[in-house]
Amino acid sequence: MSASPVIEAEGVGRRFGARTVLQDVSFRVEPGEVFAIVGPDGAGKTTLLQMLAAILRPSLGSCRVLGEDVRKRPDRVQARVGYMSQGFSLYDRLTVAENIAFAAGIRDVPKEALVARKAKLVAMAGLERFQDRREGALSGGMRKKLALCANLIHEPPLLILDEPSLGVDPLSRRELWRILEAARAEGRSIVFATSYMDEADASDRVLLLRDGRPLALGTPSDLRKTARAHVYSVGTDAPELAEAALTRLPDVLSFQRRSAGEVRVQLRTAGVPPDIGPDFRDLKPVEPTMEDVFTVASAPAEPIAVSQTAVRSPSQEILIAAEHVTQRFGDFVAVDDVSLRIAAGEVLGLLGPNGAGKTTLIRILCGLLAPSEGRAAVAGYDVARQSEKVRSSIGYVSQKFSLFTDLTAEENLIFFARAYGVPSPEMKTRIAWACEHAGVPPSEAGLVRNLSSAVRQRLALACAILHRPKVLFLDEPTSGVDPLSRFRFWRMIAGLAADGVAVIVSTHYLEEATYCDRLGLMMDGRMIALGTLQALMADLGLTDLRVEDVFLGFIARERGQAAAA
Amino acid sequence: MKPARVLAFTRKEVLEIVRDPITVSVALFMPLVILFLFGYALSFDVENAPLIIVDHDKSAASRALSDQFLNTTYFRLVSAPDDERVAEHALMQGRARAVLSIPPDFGRRLARGEAAPVEFLVDGTYASTAAIVSAYGRAIMYAFPNGTLQLPVQPEVRVWYNPQLRSRDFIVPGLFAVILMAFPPLLTALAVSREKELGTIAQIYASPLTKPEFIIGKLLPYAAIAALQLAVVLATGFLWFKIPMHGSLGLLVALGLLYVLCTVSIGLLISTLVRTQVAAMLVTLVVTLMPSFLFSGFIYPIFTMPAFFQAYSAKIPTMYFVNISRGIVMRGAGLAELWTNVAVLVVYTVVVLTLATLLLKKRIG
Repeated sequence: MSASPVIEAEGVGRRFGARTVLQDVSFRVEPGEVFAIVGPDGAGKTTLLQMLAAILRPSLGSCRVLGEDVRKRPDRVQARVGYMSQGFSLYDRLTVAENIAFAAGIRDVPKEALVARKAKLVAMAGLERFQDRREGALSGGMRKKLALCANLIHEPPLLILDEPSLGVDPLSRRELWRILEAARAEGRSIVFATSYMDEADASDRVLLLRDGRPLALGTPSDLRKTARAHVYSVGTDAPELAEAALTRLPDVLSFQRRSAGEVRVQLRTAGVPPDIGPDFRDLKPVEPTMEDVFTVASAPAEPIAVSQTAVRSPSQEILIAAEHVTQRFGDFVAVDDVSLRIAAGEVLGLLGPNGAGKTTLIRILCGLLAPSEGRAAVAGYDVARQSEKVRSSIGYVSQKFSLFTDLTAEENLIFFARAYGVPSPEMKTRIAWACEHAGVPPSEAGLVRNLSSAVRQRLALACAILHRPKVLFLDEPTSGVDPLSRFRFWRMIAGLAADGVAVIVSTHYLEEATYCDRLGLMMDGRMIALGTLQALMADLGLTDLRVEDVFLGFIARERGQAAAA
Repeated sequence: MKPARVLAFTRKEVLEIVRDPITVSVALFMPLVILFLFGYALSFDVENAPLIIVDHDKSAASRALSDQFLNTTYFRLVSAPDDERVAEHALMQGRARAVLSIPPDFGRRLARGEAAPVEFLVDGTYASTAAIVSAYGRAIMYAFPNGTLQLPVQPEVRVWYNPQLRSRDFIVPGLFAVILMAFPPLLTALAVSREKELGTIAQIYASPLTKPEFIIGKLLPYAAIAALQLAVVLATGFLWFKIPMHGSLGLLVALGLLYVLCTVSIGLLISTLVRTQVAAMLVTLVVTLMPSFLFSGFIYPIFTMPAFFQAYSAKIPTMYFVNISRGIVMRGAGLAELWTNVAVLVVYTVVVLTLATLLLKKRIG
């Protein structure tokens, strides 16, 4: 029995009306296997998972899950799998214990078994102390862990998880995976969608999806083999010059600065080292990561011109100055005594778990919220007393890209230009300028809601810079966007910084920290570390560049200090 | 069908409802608002109709006739000018609804035993009020001077069931039907569409819970709330408005429970068809509240409607409970008289619940 596959998908696909959102997907999942589905927003991950859970009927191909045809016997599949949808799928007015009891009740878990299973799961999720707390009052990470517990209570042979760690802080993410490891050790199969490449790397097999089609399928090591000789490491003492040289090469897909002396490059053609001239020490092929695999596999047929950016020169003009800024909401301290100074042309990355105070800090600096204590000036204006002037000199891209989805790209641009008071005669040139700087294709037609998330993200950036702001705030602008588009987006940000714009970016992708000049780590409202990545690493005595380790290192140190005090 | 699963589902639903005090209080408060609003404001009784009397005769007889009008609660005197033109002007302005004009020789003609014509002008703008005002006026004049009607045919008209023709006694039992059609389904439709909007329904889809279990699990708690609403409106109707009860309260409560089961089922059916709470609210209002006011016989009798609208009214369950409620409360009717209405409600409920179960998709999209 155990030899028969858990999932057999043959040419599975789904159409919504005339639109095909997924096609030609074929794979098998064996018992006990951990199977990752990786791809940017709109790749078809959720659609595929819903079809596997038999709650969406496939329009193409055939699919058997746990030996049952999902078309003919969806009820049997639904009854036996565990399915965790994206976002929060539990009842916020019910407590932790009640949510688990409900999940057990509708899934025929015998009363005797429930007590023991619940105790085990709740302990593993670290939720024992919160059993009587309402789900809505838990942190994002805890809610996700609880949802997982609710889906494990009936001990399903197959777990289907839709981006389980989306928006979860690194610490909770580790705990989530500890629970999943235990489930796997019990022989359960896990199929999950993710945009975290390290999660894909730790899986048995990976399916890469893009625009509704499979890009690659295999074990992480097999996939890495396909990208081998496409990825090089450049040792250099002048990373800016090396990056400028790489920008000029059409074969370069993307690159990331790994440290002060190293730049990592992904190339279109295998085995041809990039010709970057004299500005490097050594050049060697390196083992690709899953992220590299995705970048190489999704390389467009035609080279895309990567925007040229002038080498940034440090500026003395301070555009953001915050001194001892504190924000209280009743007893709750959302931002606690934060001070920072950001110069023109500088990019500051703001990292921290959900609820760390990143968004509140950004709102204060945007002049949307007067701080309870301390003062802050943006572009020379006081955020509390001159908020009107602050707002007209900043650009803001929110997490959700506040675009009008029922308007076209052009209509959005014109609306925002008018809203910012761009004079009519200048409108055309200004929109063209913003589109060029944000990488929006000039001929982008159709309603915004039909655009891919990568294009939406660039359009939101274009709308935010129409009035040529001196300061730019980006609140998690790259979540759900594929690596190549993210690289291009960061090049745009670098270009704007080179023009003298000061940028604050908050992000969940820790690897994006390498694109920033300085990093600010936030926790519980406090800025627990602020400095260049190198300085932070040196502070912790780390040599291997893993931003997650830096982040966790500072959290551990902070907790240690709190415990000692 | 596993009772344990239904129970787990109902339990969860009850916890959610109880923890949302705003919903619970709105659910109990809104029916009362409507009941008080219509119970007090809506009245077809004509009382204190503004009257102008133009008395050209100024005799004892003419004063006696005037007094006959003003001694009732139906009329009140606005003014008593000497000039008809003043009276007509007031009628046109809407300051008066009727004008009684007594000619100069009224008293003399009456004393001689001759016919004595009297003019009674009624503002016909509000057709139904005008009919009542003219009927009152005619009745007062026929009974003049000695309080007996002198006609060759002696009709003995008796009004049964509501001899004082108090319109509140007729409106409030009708309101029971309208209110219990308006609010219980609204709450139910919102509860299911909320799960769709928040995405919590996904874990219901991916579970062994069957469609009938889902429908019954949702139906029970909302039917309980509807039963509570039934209790609140009945108590207010009988204890506050003191509507006289001529029939069996037990029968009214039993059939009321059947009716709310029917209306909650309509809410469930709507919620299986729409995706968002806004859509659920709009569809419910259009499907339940609006036709209940117009096509239930609550205000406008159905038997006077054109055939097409009579047929349309027959499709809306409100009409059947208006019949049941008024039948029991006002006429003291029992099952023997009302069974057709009851049968329709039973069939209606079964059909709606079956449809809801069939149309519910345990799938996305």
